[in-house]
Amino acid sequence: MLPSYILHAQEINYMALAVEMIGIRKEFPGVVANDNVNLSVEQGEIHALVGENGAGKTTLMNILYGLYRAEAGTIKIRGKEVHIHRNSDAITLGIGMVHQSFKLVPSFTVAENITLGAEPRKFIFTDRNAVRKNVQEISERFGLQVDPDTRIRDLPVGVQQRVEILKALYRNADILILDEPTAVLTPQETRDLFGVVRSLVAKGKTVIFITHKFREVMEISNRVTVMRDGKVVATKETRDTNPAELARMMVGREVLLRVDKEKARPQEAVLQIQNLKVLDNRNLQAVRDVSLEVHKGEILGIAGVEGNGQRELVEAIVGLRPAIKGAIQVKGKEITGLSVRDRRETGISCVPEDRYVRGVALGASIEDNLIVGNYFKEPMSKGQVLNLSKIADFARDMVKKFDVRTPGTTIPAFTLSGGNLQKVVLAREISAEPELLIVAQPTRGLDVGSIEFVHRRIVEARDKGAAVLLVSAELEEVMSLSDRISVIYEGRIVGTIDADLATEEGLGLWMAGVTDHHKPDEIPAAGDQLDIDQKEANLV
Amino acid sequence: MSSISIPKKSGFLTNLQRSMGGVLRRSLTIFLSVFLAIIVGSIIMLLYGQNPIMIYKLLIMGAFGSQVGFFVTIQRATPIIFTAVASALAFRTGVFNVGVEGQFFIGAIAGTYVGYAFKMPTIIHLPLSLLAGFAGGALWAFFPTLMRQKLGVSEIITTIMTNYLATYLISWLTTYPLAASAVTSETPFVQPTAVLPQFQEFTPFGKGTQASVGIFIALGVAFVMWYIFKRTKLGYEWRMVGLSSLFSEFGGINLNKTFIGGMLVSGGIAGLGGAVEILGVWRKYKNLFAVGFGFKGNLAALLGGQNIIGSTVAASLYGAMESGALGLEWNAGVPRQLIDIVVGLIIFFMAAEGMWDFLRKIKIARGEPARRTTENLEV
Repeated sequence: MLPSYILHAQEINYMALAVEMIGIRKEFPGVVANDNVNLSVEQGEIHALVGENGAGKTTLMNILYGLYRAEAGTIKIRGKEVHIHRNSDAITLGIGMVHQSFKLVPSFTVAENITLGAEPRKFIFTDRNAVRKNVQEISERFGLQVDPDTRIRDLPVGVQQRVEILKALYRNADILILDEPTAVLTPQETRDLFGVVRSLVAKGKTVIFITHKFREVMEISNRVTVMRDGKVVATKETRDTNPAELARMMVGREVLLRVDKEKARPQEAVLQIQNLKVLDNRNLQAVRDVSLEVHKGEILGIAGVEGNGQRELVEAIVGLRPAIKGAIQVKGKEITGLSVRDRRETGISCVPEDRYVRGVALGASIEDNLIVGNYFKEPMSKGQVLNLSKIADFARDMVKKFDVRTPGTTIPAFTLSGGNLQKVVLAREISAEPELLIVAQPTRGLDVGSIEFVHRRIVEARDKGAAVLLVSAELEEVMSLSDRISVIYEGRIVGTIDADLATEEGLGLWMAGVTDHHKPDEIPAAGDQLDIDQKEANLV
Repeated sequence: MSSISIPKKSGFLTNLQRSMGGVLRRSLTIFLSVFLAIIVGSIIMLLYGQNPIMIYKLLIMGAFGSQVGFFVTIQRATPIIFTAVASALAFRTGVFNVGVEGQFFIGAIAGTYVGYAFKMPTIIHLPLSLLAGFAGGALWAFFPTLMRQKLGVSEIITTIMTNYLATYLISWLTTYPLAASAVTSETPFVQPTAVLPQFQEFTPFGKGTQASVGIFIALGVAFVMWYIFKRTKLGYEWRMVGLSSLFSEFGGINLNKTFIGGMLVSGGIAGLGGAVEILGVWRKYKNLFAVGFGFKGNLAALLGGQNIIGSTVAASLYGAMESGALGLEWNAGVPRQLIDIVVGLIIFFMAAEGMWDFLRKIKIARGEPARRTTENLEV
């Protein structure tokens, strides 16, 4: 029999750990997603879980949340061993998860979404008053302001996310898993979210925060666990580490976090767009009135929260989507009437945002993926016949130049990792020596090492004289790569600014549609020196 | 990092394993399917009071063991090779041509008409009749193509419907305008200048069978299509669109051109097959002379992994099984429907690829230590 104080101490120790995952193993066909993973999360802490894509973070959390079953390992919640077989088990245990893509019903109100599946009832009917009351009560208790009667589809993404969090809290979640919650947010929304997370922790909740942004780890977390290749590399107190060390642990080697580039030397305009209007798939105006210019030798970055017309803008330029109004000129030549092929022949290359859908044909060989832009020209073909040996040479050359890790060029593209696939796309598009290179979300889903590579290639293309139009939802990426930055909001360019003068704060306001600080029609031309007045007007 | 479906790690070995794994899994699937089909087929035969081992032996002997059997195999395989290549071509091009059956018929009647209605020297007449077959099939595929291009109607529906149209159109044609006499539903015989010679007519081989030199045309078409797919710009476009139309569109390939091309050539090959069948084997069009060639072609294309060579091989094996079944019926009194059941079973088991996953799940569900029931859940 142990003395009572030891028992007590043990209890406290148990209580101190909200989650303990021991020796977790999960395999998917051909890949071990989690290999003997240990994770312990203390009660009331913000625990960051970082790692490259495919490192196994989400898999691990999905196991905890009961969406997957581990092949081996033990899970303890608040010190007690539990068996989580399905999602409802996890919810019963007080685990809540907010996924990257929200699981909300757009046409339902906030209150309906929060209570969905666990509605207060009156006989067999939903008690609507109770629904509103419960939601209001819980929203006040946690200081998460929402209007219970607004429909989800009318809410900005940041608020939708808040609804997701409330949904978990409504189900009495004590342990909250947030899967890359900032990926879809503006900087301001991110700050709001951090405020919410901190207040939740202050109220005794535990938060597991999945991310791959080091800055967020440093800013919000108490401890951080780094995963690589399905294994845990280390768990550290956040104050004992730094971004460079985290990057090294994630990738397994030294990584250059900043983009090294010289000052741009912009020349004549290559792409000129005037008053462009483009419809989206629902026939709504996605691009409402865009005018912009990209010059030879510069990178124009388009920042903006996703879904503000970026996709449609790019598709209109490359010819996948008609412009209903406006003009697009490349080197002074109007291209709105041209086919995709003719536009490419004019000198447009594009790294599309849907890498797996538009960027490559997954079932086709690497060779076939590399030649789609030049198979019809000599030396790849002569007359109607393809020159297979020339194609093989070309493919081997590309694979070497762009460091595509593959055992051969005739194996299907789907065997490559995301980073290597993107290298294939880059190789194809950059080797065409384009006048205008469009890169859309070029590093989405890539690991730190590949991001570094992709960025270097984009800057290289600029230095070789391409006009580069960069579209990215990652503000950091836009800021570090671009020479000038335009912000798109609801299909309009709300402002353009020299990258040296841009601040995250200012761009963030533009991204949220706030333009009071700046007259949107003051678009500084590339390389123009901004005068002092403008600098002051420049949203700091 | 939610992408568990696209594993990140890509060492040389894992890549190799993965691509090798694909080939192995496919071969294993085919092998297992055939094996299971044979087992289940055997059970059915046993129930029917037949000795399955003897029947399978006779089947193989019937198809390859004798000269007659071999030539019947050739005769049976010829039309299926055409329809299989036509189907595979459509599949690979991303066109859903389920109308191979109808295109085969229309090609056959077109070839027949040109074959009997005109008189010219062989050197012109025969190619012209074959060309008429190709054109007939292509024309029959053109209507669905037009509907899809102009109205956006799915070609799956329209090609199925044109199969029925073809059947009834030909019933009418062979009974009225093109009928040789008022009593039978068949056309006159084609001119001697338009026939494809049968082996028994000019060699000492193949006595009593109707195998014709059409087999060379069939293999020739298969080879040409294989070459086009592998080595030409057109073939590259077809392949890419078949693999991913969204990628192809982005890469600048004209999707409309590819769709029209794929559909018409597929229909044309089916139609050419119809003409070859008439000019080589039947020499006149009997109403409903051979229903099902289109569907057999579809099946052979599926069995052959939807590539040209695989489909040709599968079509030949299909022909062999039919030939063997015919021999069985004659020699052993076994109804050929039994063989059709075995063929059907093979396809069934292949299509049920998902079944292997299912079986594995059952296995895991039993006695896997990690899987306990919710009763153990401690809250």
